[in-house]
Amino acid sequence: MCEDIKEFTPENQAIVFSITIGRISCFTSFDPVPEETFIYHNWFRRDKLSKRIKLSLQPPRWSTFSSFQLREADQGPWRVEITDKDGRILRLFRFSITD
Amino acid sequence: MTEILPFVSNIRWQDVFDITLNSYILFRLYILFRATNVFRVLIGIALLWFIQRIAVSLGLIVTSWAIQGITAVAALIIIVVFRNEIRSVLQARNLKAILWGFSGKTVDTPVEIIVESVYELARTRTGALVVFRGKEDLAEVLQGGIPWRGLVSKEMMTSIFWHDNPVHDGAAIIEGNQVTEVGVILPLSHRDDLPSYYGTRHRAAAGLAEATDALVIVVSEERGNVVLARGSDMSVISRKEELAKILREHVGVTAEEWTYLRGGKLEIGVAALVSILFITAVWFSFTSGLDALVTLEIPIEYMNRDPEMEILDTSVNAVHLDLSGSGALIKSIRPGQVQVRLDLNKAAPGHNAFTIADENVALPPGVFLKRVQPSVVEVTVDVPTNKKLPVQVDWVGRLAEHLILTEVKVNPENVWVIGGKRILKNVSTIYTAEVPLDNIRKTGTVNVNLMFDLGSVKIAPGSTDRIKVEYVAKERPQ
Repeated sequence: MCEDIKEFTPENQAIVFSITIGRISCFTSFDPVPEETFIYHNWFRRDKLSKRIKLSLQPPRWSTFSSFQLREADQGPWRVEITDKDGRILRLFRFSITD
Repeated sequence: MTEILPFVSNIRWQDVFDITLNSYILFRLYILFRATNVFRVLIGIALLWFIQRIAVSLGLIVTSWAIQGITAVAALIIIVVFRNEIRSVLQARNLKAILWGFSGKTVDTPVEIIVESVYELARTRTGALVVFRGKEDLAEVLQGGIPWRGLVSKEMMTSIFWHDNPVHDGAAIIEGNQVTEVGVILPLSHRDDLPSYYGTRHRAAAGLAEATDALVIVVSEERGNVVLARGSDMSVISRKEELAKILREHVGVTAEEWTYLRGGKLEIGVAALVSILFITAVWFSFTSGLDALVTLEIPIEYMNRDPEMEILDTSVNAVHLDLSGSGALIKSIRPGQVQVRLDLNKAAPGHNAFTIADENVALPPGVFLKRVQPSVVEVTVDVPTNKKLPVQVDWVGRLAEHLILTEVKVNPENVWVIGGKRILKNVSTIYTAEVPLDNIRKTGTVNVNLMFDLGSVKIAPGSTDRIKVEYVAKERPQ
């Protein structure tokens, strides 16, 4: 989880983000990628799914990210579940959005 | 009048039955105990109670307190002191006699036979001692005695007091037309004014007559005369007619028997009427005027729960009931008399809402439900299960702008919780209590509790709800 992505590099990786930064991103990098496929970034606020983003992956390796625009009401604990096309959880990130 | 008519029209059949039943019970108590001292003492206690109520209404604190104490003790004393009379009333009669029969002097004492027997014994100079019970119980003063229960006859009387009969020295007790006991030892009189020629038999007759309201006939062995002892009087009765008259008066049979019977019926009628009026008055005092209103907080009882499910959460544990009724009934309500029961037979796993209706509320008779607050109770039932959940920190506040929290580690990472299967199905994370960021200046550690905001979900036995949070704070790159 990071505050920004510049030149396909995550900047200021953190576990707590202030809503004042306006936007956060979930950056994922896959190596190798045997075949063209896709993954999901599932954004949960507490246990409620807030956003589901489908991202494609291309061989031989691939980096991709999803972003989330922060609002006042988004404060609280979050997690992003990275799942494959079959719904298997590949990775899970936990973070908080605060004042 | 306009207020009475609606009230009378509201009388239920249960009320009529209630009054009738209790009137009859009161009437039967009178019939059973009217000839005993118990009844007189009961009247005394009732009078004490009445005086106590007056004393309360007049604000006589010590008087009312003292009479209340005396009444309470008197109720106990009556059972102890008059146990024999109560027992004799309840045991000596069969169920039909207790519920329906009219006791009284229905069995006539054969006065003529007794008089003939007594004077025959006197003629033959056979000593005899014959006791006729009055209204008082003699059990406390008599000793010994052999049950006889033989019908009175001249031959029977002669044989009882025959010199060679082992029981001839004792007294014979006559009740109705039966010799109930023989060989009975009577208490001796200690009077100094009795004639010196009076022997033990005469002193025994005088002793019993002084102590009770019994009538005792003594036949003197030496002088062959008949002496009658009643109260403190001892007199020689030389004429059969005179003895017969005294005996008739004592056992309650007069020449004008029909007058007695008519008087008895009148007495019973009056007693029945008084019983009805008294119970009706009591009933009216309890129920008249629905003027009192009370609010009680009553815990809810949950019934018929599926054994596999547990009640995980309820919106309330008790409800407030607004009850109305007469002041006396409202004041007399005891906690156990009002119950609120919810039937969980049809409760489905998860959240259920039940409206509390009249059938859910048990009230004492004459008390009415006006309102239930809250009227809807929410109950969560489910099959209890354990689940392992990852722990996540709930950060709040604002981190200093020059810092970034880059890592966090919680210990333990997972905890076991227990809760409803249905609820836990949708729960995948458990959060800590809020951890403020404002004071963080560098990498550090904080201990924090878990936050259970799902109500029915609880930490499982063996798991801890205290979490150690280690965090890494770094300077924000420029």
